[in-house]
Amino acid sequence: MFIIKLALRNLFRHKKRTIITAIVISLAIFIYLLSDSLMLGIEELSYANIINLESGHLQVVNPDYWEERQEAPLENLIPLSEDLKKKIREIEGFNAMAGQLRFSASLNNGIDEIPIMGLGINPEETERVLTIDEYFVEGSMLTPGKYEAVLGKSLADLMDLKVGDYLTLIVRTKENTFNTIDAVITGLLKTPHPDINDNTVFVPLDIARQALNLEEEVSQIVIRLNRDKEEAREIAAELSRDLTEGGFNLKAYPWQESAETLTAMMQMQDIENFVILGIILVIAAVGIINTTILSAIERMEEIGMMKALGLKEGEIIRVFMIEATGIGIIGGLIGCFFGGIGVTILNQIGLSMNTFGGQDTTYGLPILERIYGGWNPGAFIFVFVFGVVVALLSSILPARWAARKDPVKAIYHR
Amino acid sequence: MKNYKVILPVLGLLIILLSNLALAITAEEIINRRDDNEYIVSARVESEMVIINGGRKMVKTMISLTDGRDGLTEFTNPRDRGTKFLKRGDDLWMFFPDAEDVVKISGHMLNQGMMGSDFSYQDIMESDKLTDLYNFEVIGEEEFAGRPCYLLEGIAKEGAEVSYYRRKIWIDKERFIGLKMELYAQSGRLLKVSRAEKVEKIEGRWLPTESVMENKLRRNTRTEFKIISIEFNPEIPGGTFTLQNLQ
Repeated sequence: MFIIKLALRNLFRHKKRTIITAIVISLAIFIYLLSDSLMLGIEELSYANIINLESGHLQVVNPDYWEERQEAPLENLIPLSEDLKKKIREIEGFNAMAGQLRFSASLNNGIDEIPIMGLGINPEETERVLTIDEYFVEGSMLTPGKYEAVLGKSLADLMDLKVGDYLTLIVRTKENTFNTIDAVITGLLKTPHPDINDNTVFVPLDIARQALNLEEEVSQIVIRLNRDKEEAREIAAELSRDLTEGGFNLKAYPWQESAETLTAMMQMQDIENFVILGIILVIAAVGIINTTILSAIERMEEIGMMKALGLKEGEIIRVFMIEATGIGIIGGLIGCFFGGIGVTILNQIGLSMNTFGGQDTTYGLPILERIYGGWNPGAFIFVFVFGVVVALLSSILPARWAARKDPVKAIYHR
Repeated sequence: MKNYKVILPVLGLLIILLSNLALAITAEEIINRRDDNEYIVSARVESEMVIINGGRKMVKTMISLTDGRDGLTEFTNPRDRGTKFLKRGDDLWMFFPDAEDVVKISGHMLNQGMMGSDFSYQDIMESDKLTDLYNFEVIGEEEFAGRPCYLLEGIAKEGAEVSYYRRKIWIDKERFIGLKMELYAQSGRLLKVSRAEKVEKIEGRWLPTESVMENKLRRNTRTEFKIISIEFNPEIPGGTFTLQNLQ
């Protein structure tokens, strides 16, 4: 108890020095907390965008197709039978499903041609699974059976197309023969998912099938669950089992697998975050060592006196360690306090993606809107403890150096 | 005696019909005679390609070696010098000298225009005989560029892997070379038109030495293709059509 009292008194003897050292630690904690919150926000938003606009909670796909899905081949498609639909409807937490037909195509406006991804959809079914219909900036959804198309506003701007204009999609049928889809544009989208804005043209599923010489086939079935998104993996495994038992060569993939690259990116970001935290804390550790050495030199006579009065070496080391821990705690508290304010601001007001770069820079993230920081109480606890431990550990060596001084020499400051 | 009266007109009719059949040349024969002229098995060709897109004009020159289903083309104009294409059967590779890298061209990349021209990679890849892929029919006779032509229409055979569902070809009645060709999508939309601008007789066979390809889905673009020199059955060293030789 005496040692703790002594350490605390020492801590407040040089208020300025203590505060400055603590601020370095608090800065590291503050930056870590903000970037952690931002990463969390980006993650949540990216996943939400992928679930709501791309894959739903689950996707039923032929495993061979899944391997090559980037190419959108017209092989290994799913014949859509009532039997299959029934199997899917029976799964736990089922809400809605929609068959989609993906195909590669060239979008032609009479002057230029660019490669895009075509997506044959049944609007009614799709609206129940995905939220595309919420993002129309002009016009409205297409009608099944009609030569109509919906595409992203940015793609339309690039190709100089407006609602009411005709576009031509040049596609290849199953037999590799050229075919064209001439469709009138009924609506333009501006979604928070850049892939959909820049690279996708929606046409009615039946029109796409007709142009590609396909029967009742789709390339994927997207499914929405009325469960928490974290349960998707389990339900996917269950559905995969049911499908195999039912004799279908199909597999259910949870949204996490559609977001595979994104998940990898997020993990990289996490590591990056730790590196930043590490660098700043190294600086903080240098500060602590410096502070400890300084106060040791200042208090050399005191240390000698304490030793002469019978204080053991270990007890002196403990005094310095408690002092350093105190700095760590002060820094941690300041950092967590301001971090809390910062995260609250991020959480309430958000940050425009444009702040990170010019207009429409996305860094490959499926986000085109304001990012709102997420709350992660675990990060607060973790970073606080981490800061205190760093302060504690970095004080050991200089404290030992001071405690080992010979009392007589220390008193005479030699 | 009575029977003769019936038989004679019938016989006469038959003779007329048969002689007509013998005189009329079938679509397959026309295509085959055209292929005898235009289908090059083995050759070394120096050629020039002029790509016109809106107001821009690009000239590319190249040397190609072909042998059956294999081919190697190397560009010789300054901007693309060293760029090479290797075709082996149904596969196509491209070599970029700047990147020193070989890229396989596959999937929907094959639909893109080769080096920015109106010929798609798929177009230059076609080496199967047309009569294997299409059912041709003579649908009329028409004059094109002052020459009397057979007008043929080919519809893709069931299940055949062809780029264009339907083609119309104008074939010169005397020289048996294609003077004009229209390529259609399955939807009936006209995609491309090619025309022979100049026809020459080389080593006893007629060849279109200057032709123009127009992409009908894009305004103001066309590609002119000129054969500068051609040598049939040249000596091709072994290993010419290998990936090693591409680099």
